[in-house]
Amino acid sequence: MKQKVKRKVCKIIAAVAVMSVAAAGFAGCGSSSAGSSGSSADVVIAGSTSVQPLSEALAKEYMKDNSGADIEVQGGGSGQAVKSLSDGIATIGALSREIDDSEKSDVKKTYMIAKDGVAVVVNKDVNVTDLTLDQLKKIYTGKITNWKKVGGDDNKIAVVSREEGSGTREAFTTKTGVLSDNKDNTTKDAVVQSSTGAVNKTVKSTPYSIGYVSLASVSNDTKTVKVEGVAPSESTVLDGTYKIQRPFIYAVGSDVSSETQAFIDYVMSDAGQKQVKKNGFIPVNKDEQ
Amino acid sequence: MISNVKTTNDLAFKIRDLNLHYGDFHALKDIDIDIPRHKVTALIGPSGCGKSTFLRTLDRMQDTVEGAKVEGEILFDGEDIYSKECDVTDLRKKVGMVFQRPNPFPKTIYENLVYGPKVHGITDKKRLDEIVERTLKEVALWDETKDRLHTSALGMSGGQQQRLCIARCLAVEPEVILMDEPTSALDPVATAKIEGLLHDLSGKYTVVIVTHNMQQAGRVSDQTAFFLLGELLEVNSTEKIFSAPDNKKTEEYISGRFG
Amino acid sequence: MYTREKVIEKLIFICAAVSVAAVALITIFIFAQGMPAIQRTGLLKFIFGTDWSPTNGSYGILPLIAGSMAVTIGALIIGIPTGLGCAVFLSEVLDKKQAGFFRSAIELLAGIPSVVYGFFGLAVIVPMIRAVANVFSPDAGATGLSVLAGAIILAIMILPTIVSISVNSIDAVPVTYREASYALGADRRETITKVVLPAARSGIFSSIVLGMGRAIGETMAVLLITGNVAVVPHGIFSPAATMTGTIAMEMSYATAEHQQALFAIGIVLFVIIVILNGAAQAVMKKFGGEAA
Repeated sequence: MKQKVKRKVCKIIAAVAVMSVAAAGFAGCGSSSAGSSGSSADVVIAGSTSVQPLSEALAKEYMKDNSGADIEVQGGGSGQAVKSLSDGIATIGALSREIDDSEKSDVKKTYMIAKDGVAVVVNKDVNVTDLTLDQLKKIYTGKITNWKKVGGDDNKIAVVSREEGSGTREAFTTKTGVLSDNKDNTTKDAVVQSSTGAVNKTVKSTPYSIGYVSLASVSNDTKTVKVEGVAPSESTVLDGTYKIQRPFIYAVGSDVSSETQAFIDYVMSDAGQKQVKKNGFIPVNKDEQ
Repeated sequence: MISNVKTTNDLAFKIRDLNLHYGDFHALKDIDIDIPRHKVTALIGPSGCGKSTFLRTLDRMQDTVEGAKVEGEILFDGEDIYSKECDVTDLRKKVGMVFQRPNPFPKTIYENLVYGPKVHGITDKKRLDEIVERTLKEVALWDETKDRLHTSALGMSGGQQQRLCIARCLAVEPEVILMDEPTSALDPVATAKIEGLLHDLSGKYTVVIVTHNMQQAGRVSDQTAFFLLGELLEVNSTEKIFSAPDNKKTEEYISGRFG
Repeated sequence: MYTREKVIEKLIFICAAVSVAAVALITIFIFAQGMPAIQRTGLLKFIFGTDWSPTNGSYGILPLIAGSMAVTIGALIIGIPTGLGCAVFLSEVLDKKQAGFFRSAIELLAGIPSVVYGFFGLAVIVPMIRAVANVFSPDAGATGLSVLAGAIILAIMILPTIVSISVNSIDAVPVTYREASYALGADRRETITKVVLPAARSGIFSSIVLGMGRAIGETMAVLLITGNVAVVPHGIFSPAATMTGTIAMEMSYATAEHQQALFAIGIVLFVIIVILNGAAQAVMKKFGGEAA
């Protein structure tokens, strides 16, 4: 009697093992691009990783007051935003730049939900306080290598950059002209760090270094440099005098569910914009929406 | 006690009041014994009686055991081997040891044999080759191995390996060879070969052999010492021990009453 | 009775099959995703090209290969003598109790997450290297983020592997070999270097190969301390980028073409590891044959 039960159990275990291997195999054969698994959530936001933390904060607040809502936030980069939208994977595409012409056909409407400045930070021993866009471009393309060329001490500039594909990098290189004709000319000698936090740490501890970070993440351990005579702040970003800035954009297609619209309405409302400010980003004027 | 050099000429070892403790355990008790030069001395006794322990004091192998404490006097060529002036590596060059299980190094036959000489400073290849040939001939292994000196020693049979170990021991030109039950792991044919070897060796070297096998002791030795529970009960010529021992316990052991 | 054994046999076969299947699936996946990138750029240009600029459509990975090799070799140069010395110390000098304590301490090293190693490197090692580099070449403007930083941290990370396995190998050398050596008049140092270590060499070598595998595959720690500069490093104080670090850093943002190129790096990494392991096996066969 015991033997029979044991045998049955063994058979069941064997069957379960085979089925799980098969299931794993099928699951593995699924689509490979980042952030593309099908989701059952009502609202799926995919795209820029710069916007992602803000989306997550907004979603969290929204879901607190609307317990029935199910919002999922994914990354993938601004490049993936519109694609996810058109593939039906996301209901909102998040970008840290304007949509370009090739993407216009898949997008019905865009909402600028916030603005972000990109601050230029230097190590505390650098005594240069103001740089022009052209100087920044020359520093980051390796044409200027010594601080004395821009009014500082005779010391080699240690350049810190973000990694390829970073939205922050894209904003910086576009606005300074380091990116031109679709070519990113960041000098090969630049040290690359893969997050805002790492850039901050590196600039803080490396003498005569320069880097760029999202305005929301500027720390007290580094000095912020003025660009074209303008210091970065909420007002200078809003009135456009601080040049290195980027829009945070939610894009939607022609098919917008009620849950998605409800969330977007929240984000654009005063309550939502209050959250934007709370997270260190810059809320948009009503007329720019 | 400083011994008179004259009287120790024919003695390889002179041991007086030897006591050994492993921690709290008193393993050897008040051992007094003379080991004559160029003779074979057999150490017999039941398991655990201390004969191997005693053997290992003669080349200070007890130094490698944690917690072993040796007291007393062991004079080798008139000098106390446990004194501070005694150089252990030099002692072990003169007093070699062959172990119960054959333990050739996992190297070639050649490398096994030249290991000792190299350690003691011989680097000339011709001399080393000569040592290899001489020692292998002494143990009657030369013909079997001369064509495969540079193959692994582990490829030989047990009996051959043990003879190799003896040859390895001879390669450093010792005065004394200590043997700790050298044939107990071998078959009768190999055993016979090694016993024959002992006979040839004893003319040139002093041999002290621990054996479990009384018949072997009777066959190969000139002097026999009987150990029991850490004490040396009797030491006499082999002939006397095996025919008319002084001590009753010796007689009982020999006749197989215990052990 | 017999059928039950058959069932168990089938069960453990399935377990083995799952492991093999996993490796096969991953390999096929990497190749499938990465081959188009290699075809697009051309194999030689991909491997030997010196310009890695995905945003400009240029995919040459020589600097990355050089970076990975540099930190790995550096780690081995530092880690092997240190690890072996440590293993000999633990095995031969310390008694059982002390050795146990030391071993636990070293094995704790193995439990530290690699990102913590990275932060430690960034906070402690990088500034020290910067100071030293400025002594040697004050005008170079070294940041301390360098091959040397990577090599030092990786050496610490592979230490537990090398020490642990080497200690086991050394302990496994039969005491009879040591006794034979002492009996012939060798001292401790000679016994260790001429008998014990050679006898343990097959295990020691395995530990080194395992350590090398860990070093070359390490991602998080090197990402934080090597500077990720995609230029072939010209000295130990130069920054570098590793294959693994680059993949990790750029994968989340990568678009289709860039992503395929990253998978292609994965292919190259895979092939390099297979070659290294194969070479190690061959060497072991040649020299390890006689070891106990």
